[in-house]
Amino acid sequence: MRLDVTLPRGLQLKNPIMAASGTFGFGPEYAAYVDINQLGGVSVKGISPDPWRGNPPPRVWETAEGLLNSIGLQNPGMEVFLAEDIPFLNTVDTAVVANIIGHTTDEYRRVAERLSKEPRIDAFEINISCPNIKEGGIQFGHDPDQAFRVTRAVREVTEKPIMVKVSPNTGEPWVIAEAAVQAGADMISAINTLVGMAMDLNARRPALGGVTGGLSGPAIKPVALRIVYELASRLSVPVIGMGGISSAEDVLEFLMAGASAVMVGTVTFQHPERMLTIIDDLPRVLETYGFSSVESAVGVALPQRREA
Amino acid sequence: MAHAFEVPIIERRDVAPAHVELMLKSVRLSQAQPGQFCHVLTPGMLRRPISFSRLDPKRGLAGLLLQVVGSGTAWLYERKAGQNLDVMGPLGRGFSPPEAHRPWILVGGGVGIPPIFAALEAWQNRVTAPIHVVLGARTADYLIMRRDFQSLGTNPVLTTDDGSLGQRGNVLPALDQWLGQFPGAEVMACGPTPMLAAVQKTARGRAGRVQLALEQRMGCGIGACLACVVPAEPLGPEGPRYRRVCTDGPVFLGEELVFDAP
Repeated sequence: MRLDVTLPRGLQLKNPIMAASGTFGFGPEYAAYVDINQLGGVSVKGISPDPWRGNPPPRVWETAEGLLNSIGLQNPGMEVFLAEDIPFLNTVDTAVVANIIGHTTDEYRRVAERLSKEPRIDAFEINISCPNIKEGGIQFGHDPDQAFRVTRAVREVTEKPIMVKVSPNTGEPWVIAEAAVQAGADMISAINTLVGMAMDLNARRPALGGVTGGLSGPAIKPVALRIVYELASRLSVPVIGMGGISSAEDVLEFLMAGASAVMVGTVTFQHPERMLTIIDDLPRVLETYGFSSVESAVGVALPQRREA
Repeated sequence: MAHAFEVPIIERRDVAPAHVELMLKSVRLSQAQPGQFCHVLTPGMLRRPISFSRLDPKRGLAGLLLQVVGSGTAWLYERKAGQNLDVMGPLGRGFSPPEAHRPWILVGGGVGIPPIFAALEAWQNRVTAPIHVVLGARTADYLIMRRDFQSLGTNPVLTTDDGSLGQRGNVLPALDQWLGQFPGAEVMACGPTPMLAAVQKTARGRAGRVQLALEQRMGCGIGACLACVVPAEPLGPEGPRYRRVCTDGPVFLGEELVFDAP
């Protein structure tokens, strides 16, 4: 069965399963546990031009079928990533997506321009949707004009495929997505985490050091699926879906809702090998529900396809 | 390729109120360094990092001693002999072995006592200089593993907050006294953060190494998610930088850590 996925600007995935940014480090960390060559792709942890120290701990809190995190995009900056992690990424055969972050439009431009020169990077994912950053990041994700400007700034400095990752924490994510597409985004990835909070009863204060955090995991899957469906219904570019995926059946739900490929994240913390299990299971699940390839399942549940 | 794997529980021991020790049959885990941990699957969204309480590579046994603090540890408390645990490990940077000719001071507080016992059990025979152990807990009920220390032939100084066993108070007076007697001593400590901060302060600025084993809420356990960080040196303009307990620790040198970070 054909699992491969063809995305804009020549981005080829051997299967539709990618590791979601923030859950898989910069590449080498999970290498002892996961044969990365089997993955469709890896979206590395968010990279900024200069190092970011992140939010105070505690940074994670378990919720019902979900995980709240307030990491705050801690990363060592683009030069350390290039020097320390690209050599490892050169040894693996999978699509490498650089998730990029900035406090300002110029910072997004700087990191994209620098990383665009690195041949190992196959695509960019512009993160304008992390709820854990006070300045930058999310402000670009809630305002279509700012989303346009950031996407345009990155588009001006790279020929590589660009996906823009949108936030579920806005009433109409498609407005942001449409602005990004107008500015030159080749794809939209959705969704980032849902902003939330937990209380530490003993401490009488919010449980996370960053006060609020981003909710991920199976708890958010219905929200993610709904937003992917809304985006795929409206947009002419491919959508990369994510949010609580932990089985091949979950993947098929996202494909039917219009995702061309998916990202898997939170479940990896429990089961490092789960992405590989999903890849193994996917042909059987596609066949069970009457599909002969990944591509043939994409968007079958969308209203325009149902009417056809 | 490393992977998560299942290990059988061969014995379950109640050791204190809401504290249980699970003995696991696993050659691989039994070869851990004291201070390393095992990342245990529970029904929730995250595994639980638990440090080893004892390691017996000859018989292929490893112990995990845990306190019930939430849903994951409550589930682990209910496990029985004959059941399996799904684990990743051993993980993290454990204690570096003590030097043979240097006096060795071990400090354990509450549920931080187990890795201190594992260190003593592993290395007491290689140290020819004096070894001193002080253990502290809220009350006598929570002074876990004290008989295990005694069975190794050491006579730990015991302290309790309420004086129900040993000296009333905490571990610091004993540490202070021994450091006066043996200024070059090596110190290993594990316990609540205020205790570790006090150990760091009391023991700093000497020739002897200070190794502190930390605990933090953890995600992946292998260095990828950056959830389990603690404030560490060097201080930058924004304050301390953050380092990972799972892979940079759980054992840090005293001078690497910043306990008074805002």
